[in-house]
Amino acid sequence: MPLLPVLLSNFQKRTLSPPTETLVETTDEALMTQVQADNLDQLVPLFERYHQPLFSFLCRLTGDREVSQDLAQNVFYRVLKYRASYHAGQPFRAWIYQLARNVHTDHWQQNRRPTADVDQIEHTASYGRSALAHAAATDRDAALQEALALLPPDQREILVLHRFQGFDYAEIGELLGCTAGAARVKAHRALEALRKIYFS
Amino acid sequence: MHTSFTSHDLPASCAALEDLLPAYAEGELAPAEVAQVEAHLATCAACQEKVAQYQTLAQDLLGLPLACPTPEMRTDFMAMLHREKAALTTENVAPIANAEPRVEHEAKVILMWSRPATRQWLQVAASILLVAVGVVLGLVLHPGSEQLAANQTRKPSLATQLATAATQPATASDRIQLVSNAPTTNQQNDATVLVLVNTLNTDPNPNVRLAACEALYRLRKDPRVAPALVHSLPLQTDPNVQITLIELLVALRTPEAVPQLERLAQRRDALPAVRQQAEQGIGLLI
Ligand SMILES: [Zn+2]
Repeated sequence: MPLLPVLLSNFQKRTLSPPTETLVETTDEALMTQVQADNLDQLVPLFERYHQPLFSFLCRLTGDREVSQDLAQNVFYRVLKYRASYHAGQPFRAWIYQLARNVHTDHWQQNRRPTADVDQIEHTASYGRSALAHAAATDRDAALQEALALLPPDQREILVLHRFQGFDYAEIGELLGCTAGAARVKAHRALEALRKIYFS
Repeated sequence: MHTSFTSHDLPASCAALEDLLPAYAEGELAPAEVAQVEAHLATCAACQEKVAQYQTLAQDLLGLPLACPTPEMRTDFMAMLHREKAALTTENVAPIANAEPRVEHEAKVILMWSRPATRQWLQVAASILLVAVGVVLGLVLHPGSEQLAANQTRKPSLATQLATAATQPATASDRIQLVSNAPTTNQQNDATVLVLVNTLNTDPNPNVRLAACEALYRLRKDPRVAPALVHSLPLQTDPNVQITLIELLVALRTPEAVPQLERLAQRRDALPAVRQQAEQGIGLLI
């Protein structure tokens, strides 16, 4: 295919990419502002930064990898679809997690099941019974996964945000619409609820 | 809900500290509160056990395996991005041509063209141009493309089709498809170049004009192309078309464009990015 390389090298050499130009690390917010201006390619670096954390977040919430992958994909679709609603300077991480929460809520409402099916979680997660060498660890992980699945969704979410996604209480408060102090109390209550289930 | 887990059968001294224990286990308490909790822990086995459980729980949570998405996630994402870009380029009308071969080419192109933030307009232009390139490539590389070309010879000429499209309510994507199907070689007196130039100068849709730019670039060996691009420059007001034209004139090494570029660089109604691009183009051509 001769045409594309020729075109690319022409444009890059002559106008687009002088070799002296250094690529600076671009903030999430700057990238999103460009996506908003219909420069959709700038979503690619944001995808690279966020798809794993968002997938992991959704996995912890749903306990289902396949569903989580679909939901995470949907989050990026919504970033494009609702890009006009992003405000310049708004913290991007909070914004995209809010979209993820909405995607999860929508999914949950469509597939209404008050608590996840424990057997299903065990099988969809990677804790096969064949992994005998790690039997102790996987039993423990499975028990903890099960305990998490038995928490009410809002408590599970706050634990996941705090424990796995690295959100501090102020950020959680922003996401949930409460103060940092209130978020901290909620997180502690969720931890206590989890402790009771896990050690029951 | 807020008091759901408060156990009412705890001794009063334990109940008083109950809410502090998770924070204590997490190391979040101020020194005064730490002292208060530790004074109680020294005398209470039940609360000691609770603290130990919080700590075990925290460790086990940390030890939970991290699931990774499969590679399909990136593939699906790229396909989705491609669809959205195509929709944007064709103003939400149906996709231009059969998408199969294009997805792959453009997925590669996207990665190669990630750009620093300062050249936003350029990127917009480049991505739109590349959609056009992708369309052309999709047609060129598609196994059925020879047959497609063969079919075309039996159809009315491009000139006729475009002229018809201009007088009928043809969609922008129809016109892009027509323009993108323009042959890569032509005879000296072929009307294709003239039709494409006319499209470039008069089509109301900037994406159709961009596709015309691209089609003309493929016909760059024709001596009429470069002067027509120079002539078109002052007629354009869309920044993407302006920038693309400047790129093409530089790529074609057309020093005749310098006076027009100088005028464009002074134009008050042109975007700063366009004026900058014009100046850069002058620097490369003189
Ligand atoms: Zn006690």
